[in-house]
Amino acid sequence: MSPDIVETVNVAREVPWLPWAVQYFFLIGLSYGAFLVSLPGLVFRRAGWEGSARLALLAALVCGLTAPVALLADLHQPGRFWHFYAYFTPSSWMSWGAFFIPVYLTGLMLYAWLAFRPLLARLAGEGGRCAGLARTLAYGGHDSRNALVAAAALAFVGAALVAFYTGVEVMLVRARPLWDTPLLPLQFFVTAIAGGLGLTLLFNRYAPGTANGSATRRLASALAASQFIALLVGAVWLALGLSGLAPTHAQALAQVSPSANWQLSAVWAVAASVLTLLLAWKRPGSGVLLGLLALHSAWMMRWTIFIGGQQVPKTGAGYYSYQLPLGPEGLMGIVGTAGLWLFLFVALTTLLPLERLGRAGQTGA
Amino acid sequence: MDDRHPPPVSASRRAFLHGIPLLTAAAALAPAPARAGDARHQWAMLIDVRKCIGCQACTVACLQENAVPAGSFRTIVSTYSVKLTDAAQPAGIYLLPRLCNHCDNPPCVPVCPVGATFKRDDGIVVVDGGRCVGCAYCVQACPYDARFINHDTGEADKCTFCAHRVEAGLLPACVETCVGGARIFGDLNAPKGELRRRLEEAKPDLKVLKPELATEPRVFYIGLDARFQGKVEGQGTLWQPRATHA
Repeated sequence: MSPDIVETVNVAREVPWLPWAVQYFFLIGLSYGAFLVSLPGLVFRRAGWEGSARLALLAALVCGLTAPVALLADLHQPGRFWHFYAYFTPSSWMSWGAFFIPVYLTGLMLYAWLAFRPLLARLAGEGGRCAGLARTLAYGGHDSRNALVAAAALAFVGAALVAFYTGVEVMLVRARPLWDTPLLPLQFFVTAIAGGLGLTLLFNRYAPGTANGSATRRLASALAASQFIALLVGAVWLALGLSGLAPTHAQALAQVSPSANWQLSAVWAVAASVLTLLLAWKRPGSGVLLGLLALHSAWMMRWTIFIGGQQVPKTGAGYYSYQLPLGPEGLMGIVGTAGLWLFLFVALTTLLPLERLGRAGQTGA
Repeated sequence: MDDRHPPPVSASRRAFLHGIPLLTAAAALAPAPARAGDARHQWAMLIDVRKCIGCQACTVACLQENAVPAGSFRTIVSTYSVKLTDAAQPAGIYLLPRLCNHCDNPPCVPVCPVGATFKRDDGIVVVDGGRCVGCAYCVQACPYDARFINHDTGEADKCTFCAHRVEAGLLPACVETCVGGARIFGDLNAPKGELRRRLEEAKPDLKVLKPELATEPRVFYIGLDARFQGKVEGQGTLWQPRATHA
């Protein structure tokens, strides 16, 4: 920052991508991350992964169903969402995203239904308030292996497309050097996997009677690997910025490094990743703490990139200041998505209790 | 009645069913935005910063003409206090009028997910408000911070070179009101017009903002200091119109 220039009159642009957008990128990341965590147990039938795979699938479903609502709410004209489908614009990754999300969610819901069908049939047989609904949803309760693999394949294609587009649409914004890096999609992806593992760890810990030490340790070692990769990618970003090899990284570093807020965010992010890595490595049984740390890092990363990134003026001097509004443009957006998430979680676990999902065995009996 | 033959299929039902694909296709194709603007003109602006006196008359005229909501601006004169080392006085003022650059290679256009923002045949970049979903992707993509979300409409908003006035044969409001004559608006296709003449005269000194991004702005500057050509390195402004705190 040059001390010789003081901006006396200029316009401070508002943050146009609101906390709703942070929630969307967070939840859709958690969803595809958790979906990938569900694959070893449910599709590849790896021994010992079955219980955590079903819990991961529940996490993917709850987050995946909440995320598009947050995205819709981030539009300043949400009632016109149908324009995405009426006016497809191939030059825009956001336009492609509007088609990728339904592909992913259709695959995910089919996959979840096929995976939970046998358990639904068993729950229907046991009676209870939800027996009728469970029987209807089970629709015979067959364990259709081929159909499950096909649905998982569709969801995998959708998840890959969603992971790709969410990274690329932000990466392509050349106007913001902080976003304009090919490492950003990778950072989103790695932290999404970590978040998916974190949420599965929490579910695993809170599923009564299923607290499964070996499952927790397996998830913890995967989390440790994700944190190692996240730190490695961060180090590459910093090295590219410091060396000047990549001008956009150098520019981004020059823009944020003088700010005390950014320095604190960077130290915080590195410390949280190192702590998660060490805990997951040395104390893999600490499932709750690990889960919370991983979720916190995934959210913080997106908050810093989006809200922090939008506080860097493109032409003006210094930084725009941001205070979280308490209404729908701010806090209520976060609380609202959390509320919807909680509602879906309660609704789904009323039908499919956590302890039944988390039990070891092929069908959660 | 002879029941060996089925009753005749209703001609009207058949016609209706035949019409469905046509209706669907028409619904998808009909509301394409009008690529208005006369291609014989290519509108552009030249700003002579040496003549700007920082009165913000352009800012106010634009707000009035375009009913821009409070706290938002389509144009503004960015004002900087600059320390001087070669003069008796300690500091001078640098003034830089900013607006949409109506780029020839506008980064805001390809990112729009619904094709609501486009470059007209006469070079003016506009937003089709009725189609805009307010996703603000264009706001992010603009390297000049020239776009914003209009809180009254929920749509992306920006300078239009006062297209409605230009079509009526008038100058943009900011040009009309400029006290120092710092803003010159005209047609790049008019070889004898004032804009082309002034551009030719100033050719060695002509600059655009952020040329490295290859956006090819249609807003040119005379007297643009290199320190202000991109993101300004300096102390930020304290005045934030929509901020709720001091």
